Amino acid sequence: MISRRNLLAATAAVGILAAFPGSSVAQDKPFDGVQLSVLMEGHPTTDAISKMLPAFTEATGIDVQLEVVPEQDITAKTLLEFSSKSGRYDVVQNNIIYVPGFVASNYIVPLDDTLAKYAQYFDKADFVPGYFNTNVVDGKTYGLPVYGESTFLMYRKDLFQEYGLSEPKSFEDIEAAAKTVSEKTNKEIAGITMRGQQGIQGVYVWAAYLWGFGGSFLDESGKSALATPEGIAALEAFTKVLREYGPVGVANFGWEENRLLFQQGKAAMTLDATVNGAFNEDPAVSTVAGKVGYVPVPMKSASPKGGSSSLAVHSLYVSADSQNQEAAAVFAAWATAKEQQVKSLETDPNSGVTSLTALNGEAFGKRYGAFKDAMLAAINQGNPQYLPTIDKANEVINNTGIAVSKALAGASSAADALKEADTANNAALAR
Amino acid sequence: MTTLADPTRYFHRPIVAALGVVSVILTAYVVWLTLRDVSLLRAGQDAFVGADNYLRLWNDPRAISALVRTALFTVLATGIEVALGLAIVLFLDRDFALRRLVRALLLVPIIMTPVVVGLTWRFIFDPATGMANYALSVLGIGPVDWLGSTEVAIFSVLIADVWQWTPFVVLLVMAGLESAPTDPLDAARVDGAREWQVTWYILLPMLRRVLAVVALIRAIDSIKAFDLFYIMTRGGPALSTETLNYYGYVAAFTNFDISYALTIALVLTVFTNVALLTMYGVLFPKSGER
Repeated sequence: MISRRNLLAATAAVGILAAFPGSSVAQDKPFDGVQLSVLMEGHPTTDAISKMLPAFTEATGIDVQLEVVPEQDITAKTLLEFSSKSGRYDVVQNNIIYVPGFVASNYIVPLDDTLAKYAQYFDKADFVPGYFNTNVVDGKTYGLPVYGESTFLMYRKDLFQEYGLSEPKSFEDIEAAAKTVSEKTNKEIAGITMRGQQGIQGVYVWAAYLWGFGGSFLDESGKSALATPEGIAALEAFTKVLREYGPVGVANFGWEENRLLFQQGKAAMTLDATVNGAFNEDPAVSTVAGKVGYVPVPMKSASPKGGSSSLAVHSLYVSADSQNQEAAAVFAAWATAKEQQVKSLETDPNSGVTSLTALNGEAFGKRYGAFKDAMLAAINQGNPQYLPTIDKANEVINNTGIAVSKALAGASSAADALKEADTANNAALAR
Repeated sequence: MTTLADPTRYFHRPIVAALGVVSVILTAYVVWLTLRDVSLLRAGQDAFVGADNYLRLWNDPRAISALVRTALFTVLATGIEVALGLAIVLFLDRDFALRRLVRALLLVPIIMTPVVVGLTWRFIFDPATGMANYALSVLGIGPVDWLGSTEVAIFSVLIADVWQWTPFVVLLVMAGLESAPTDPLDAARVDGAREWQVTWYILLPMLRRVLAVVALIRAIDSIKAFDLFYIMTRGGPALSTETLNYYGYVAAFTNFDISYALTIALVLTVFTNVALLTMYGVLFPKSGER
């Protein structure tokens, strides 16, 4: 076991050596013997990176201990370690919505200096700009995007043709088409399906309606402003299509239930994450491959406060309590570099790549050509504020989710539910 | 007899003292944390806030309705499981073919982890592809929205809980029944008592203590129930399945509000203790036989 002091000395020595090119053999493996502990989400990109780790150890001498946990548990696990200053993890993966909180608490460190020093692993221009910029706070780069996604509207081209419907371009089109399919098939096929489960699931999709109708989570002063005429109209429209033309049980649908229903051909439309395209187009798991059309989420308001397409980015961050911050930053850069991202497309179903080279490559086009253009369009107009990026984000989302769930279940009116959420949110924000 | 004559005190007293000290220290630490505003998002910036967290809980309708829901769930789950378990035991006590197999199969639900139980029932209750609605459709009954309806969801979780834990009641009551003497039963039968009279006047009074213990264990577990709610409904829809324990989880691991979560947990613990001590007092009256 290397003691902490020795490790620090070794890191410092490596730093000095690296500053004098050609002066030593150690430059080839500047971090020989360094051990990194990395926490990542269970996701195809993580699987791909884990397969490539031996090559990283070969190139840098860094030994990586990778720990993988489900996405919904990673933030609590991370925060418990961060707040106790344990330094248990050198690198953690998380959603960008927590970045402001992490930065404000000094849990994570900027990576710019290390990235400039190890430019062979880092090419800023190769990242999708919309993804990369979500990690920039006050001009400093705090994280590197591992995977990203947006949202779009998926519809069954075959059903739309059968019932004489045209491509849905507005929220009114969605409602009309949902009504037609639901009535013509005598509710055998749901007009539309979306996630209705209380919490982040329902909020993630309803937020498309909120922004599309011209609403927003917060007003200019940072207060919760859901119960505006726009917000109320958005919740009414969302609950109307689901209650009248949606599938039975939609109020408890998470990502999985919703995706499966659409893949099984039991719904004519769904509004969900772009990654669902990869599942729809895989004939092994889908009965609707080749029959799905992809269009951007509509915008109703002429003067929206933000786009109705989401921008969900999951990035790697370096812990401020890490004893090997430089090595950790090198790992983050390597794991997100274009070479690795291009390679990941060969080994795993990874439609969330953040590298432009990988996105525009042949492999991507071959696998995901059916929705590539719609996905890129959605990403380019993706709204970085789609979910509130404040340190109390989770609580605001939780309260909003209760409002969406109440309106969807018919337990209270959209206006009352949203007013209640505003009160709860503002109490949380004041704490 | 003086205490000096009992040398075993050198063995049990240190253990009692150690357990006592640990509980007191932990409880005191929790109480101290509930008087501050510890949040994982603001490490090291917490301050003393007095009784704010308790006042907030008192004025929090979400917490109050979660408490009522917890009480409802506990009473229903415990009541149904004990009644059903007792009925099954009385039935299994008769001789019939495959009796041993049925007994063995009854234990399967207890062995399964709650996560698997939750997921299995979630699939069974899936409105479009689940077995529950398929069975109903065979009977000509329209689809029931098991987990997506605010009126039905908590009962769906209850069904899963009853399925998993009734066998536990069966197991304990069966053990109690087997250790009970059979002579009084035979004597009553010889005296001409009918079978229901034997059961009601002799067997049930003999099982009273074991039933009380089982009910206590199930009540404590039901108050703490978390896994099935987490897997099956996550407290939704529209908070209709949010118990106080689950709300505490949300406060801690969704909102990262550690102090408030501990306040919820502490209040729940106090309520539970008072309720169970009362229940214990009723079930085991001091004047009764020991």
